[in-house]
Amino acid sequence: MTGDVLVTGIGVVSGFGLGVDAFWDGLVAARDACVPAGIPEAPDARVARVEGLEARRWVRSAQGRRIDRTSLLALAAARLALDDAGTAPEALQSSRTALALGSAFGNVQETAAFLDRIFDRGTGNPMLFPNLVMNAPLSYAAIELGTTGPSAMVTEQDASGEAAIAWGARQVAAGGADVCLAGAADELATELLTIGRETRTASDAEPCVGEGAAVLVLESAARARERAARCYARLVPHAGFGVAAPVHGWPAEPSELARGLAPLVADVSLIVAAASGEPVLDELEAEVLALALAGRRAALTAPRRAIGRFGAGGALAVAAAALAIRHGMVPPIMGWPAARTRGLDVVTGAARPASVRDVLVDGLARGGVCRPLRLEAA
Amino acid sequence: MRQVAVTGLGAVTALGADVAALAAGLADGRSPLGPLTRFVHGGRCQLAAEVPELAPPAAAFGALRTATIRRLSRPDRLALITIEQALREAGLKPPELAGAGLFVGATVGGMGETEEAYRRHRAGEDRRYRLSRLLGTPLSTSASAAAQAFGIYGPRATFSTACSSSALAIAEAAAAVASATVPAAIAVGTDALCRITFAGFDALQTLDPQGCRPFDRDRAGLTLGEGAAALVLEDIEHARARGARVIARVLGHATTTDAHHVTAPDPEGQAALGALRGALDAAALPPEAVDYVNAHGTGTRQNDEAEVRVLRAVFGDRLPRIPVSSTKAQLGHCLGAAGAVEAVVTVLALDGSLLPATATLREPDPAWSDLDLVPAAGRRQPLEVALTSSYGFGGHNVTLVLGRGV
Repeated sequence: MTGDVLVTGIGVVSGFGLGVDAFWDGLVAARDACVPAGIPEAPDARVARVEGLEARRWVRSAQGRRIDRTSLLALAAARLALDDAGTAPEALQSSRTALALGSAFGNVQETAAFLDRIFDRGTGNPMLFPNLVMNAPLSYAAIELGTTGPSAMVTEQDASGEAAIAWGARQVAAGGADVCLAGAADELATELLTIGRETRTASDAEPCVGEGAAVLVLESAARARERAARCYARLVPHAGFGVAAPVHGWPAEPSELARGLAPLVADVSLIVAAASGEPVLDELEAEVLALALAGRRAALTAPRRAIGRFGAGGALAVAAAALAIRHGMVPPIMGWPAARTRGLDVVTGAARPASVRDVLVDGLARGGVCRPLRLEAA
Repeated sequence: MRQVAVTGLGAVTALGADVAALAAGLADGRSPLGPLTRFVHGGRCQLAAEVPELAPPAAAFGALRTATIRRLSRPDRLALITIEQALREAGLKPPELAGAGLFVGATVGGMGETEEAYRRHRAGEDRRYRLSRLLGTPLSTSASAAAQAFGIYGPRATFSTACSSSALAIAEAAAAVASATVPAAIAVGTDALCRITFAGFDALQTLDPQGCRPFDRDRAGLTLGEGAAALVLEDIEHARARGARVIARVLGHATTTDAHHVTAPDPEGQAALGALRGALDAAALPPEAVDYVNAHGTGTRQNDEAEVRVLRAVFGDRLPRIPVSSTKAQLGHCLGAAGAVEAVVTVLALDGSLLPATATLREPDPAWSDLDLVPAAGRRQPLEVALTSSYGFGGHNVTLVLGRGV
């Protein structure tokens, strides 16, 4: 690691709408993007859909006409991020621009459609197949934006966004790229609603499943200075660590995660958590942060409750952290009783004005993964 | 920057259940390609490089719960088997593993199991079918399973850039060791045959029903394979201090993107060229230092043509004197596992002074009849430096430069 990595642009598409302002305004106003799903398969399910995402607004190439929704979410966020950074795609030096995208599940809907045709007719649809590979969003974004530097599709369950952003930041820090578009996307598939339904107990609240994408423009300090770019924050990636946990679930025991996170939360004023409303995670994370903070005070928030939970949600948590620094404001979380009962400083109700200088996104994920990222006022 | 040693290898391929079987098969040039048996495929190609049923990984399964083992996919199991082999060879034990990195490259994960469950559900054979089985076992499950089975609790990531996925995982593992982020890292590639990839590539008419013939005049597409491979990468001083054998070294790597087409490679190969040159630059080696090229060599008309163009641009008039071969002729295209499988093949070439063959080559394309494509069977020759390139569907290029152990 050598140079500083700055966040100079943010693009978000979420249940709050298109663009970083819609996202931030929704969070700060404590709105809930979740609405009844209105589908027979899951009558009481709630979802946070991205509305009004039309391919023709974001796609320029002929190949892009067949783009899938996950790739489109990522592409829209990437274009919005470049706009926000005041950089046209044509202004990027292609071989010095990296691309890092994360997704937990990729293209679920077209995968199901492809399988239906295989079982009905015995053959695959050649037009759909290119969209089914996990790296389709990466490929479409590179073609649309003309980036030819290093690229990676990273998948790490709930921390897919944090993992992709960390990879991208390392490319810039190590000098392999001047700019990296880094973020994550996941689509809302009807199939995803069944997960919560199959695993929750009767007393649990109905979970809200969301979709969306966030992409950050990560830029070397030298390039940002040269073009007098506006800067949200400095991004300090962490290599991440693992702890003992069920392969498919959350660790039963908080102490290892707390030990790993303790040095990272020692001086931050805000923690953007994974807390999604999933009871097991909300309990565990509250316990982990209480142990890691050991009585220290830091504000806690998380966007996943408002925009629904989805694998790429961590990228939107990173966006929220950068925006909190920029605006001097901590958006509220829509309740997190497990954290409140442990005496943690959970920001609820209304947004809280605060001078936010150092933030940790804790990056917890199933399977015992922790992919934390730190953001600092630049 | 620290030097990166390779201290352990594991492989499960169509040539056999371990690295020794792979090395023996590479030496004799035999073809393990055979009829597809894993599922019914309605298309025109029925040939594959399948891995036979294998004994379970005893140590890994001993550390996991029965319920967890039952949910593991075939790629998860293949990954665990090869990691177990590689760790045994490296002699790394749990205390050292706790801080090690784990980087996986894969493309399908539990898709094969999901397809079968979905088929049974549609056919009315399984009313209790639950889609959460698929969505609860995403692509990163192999990494989670390996971390928990072997106690590998350092940095962890799963990469999916199609056919270059595990070459990227190796590059990441090497970067983590070189930057002293970790003393050791395990890089793994794993993929199994499944309906979606088989039907997809067949629908794109990229499968050769007669078996792939990389660099041949009559080449007509690829043969899909499956398997897994693992490499233990380690700070060379760390390896020496504990008396581990340095099998080979990772000297350099680079990754680039075509930004050209969602399925086809850029015929000009500009970005692939950038990856190859970038990897040599990272290794601080001139093209003259390279003794062997393990090509991506899929056997499609487009890939092989673009790849030779890239090699000519880098090696110029010297190219006919550098052996170039594609081991996909024997192993099939293992997709997400291909980069790691071919890295293991390249390490075996360096360590055993054995040039692997392009086993199915009969008549080279006239456009490159001047090249040494190592036809028929492997050939003994001392090697110091070799490179292996992987070009992923969608335009994701990774080149690794490997050196003989010292």
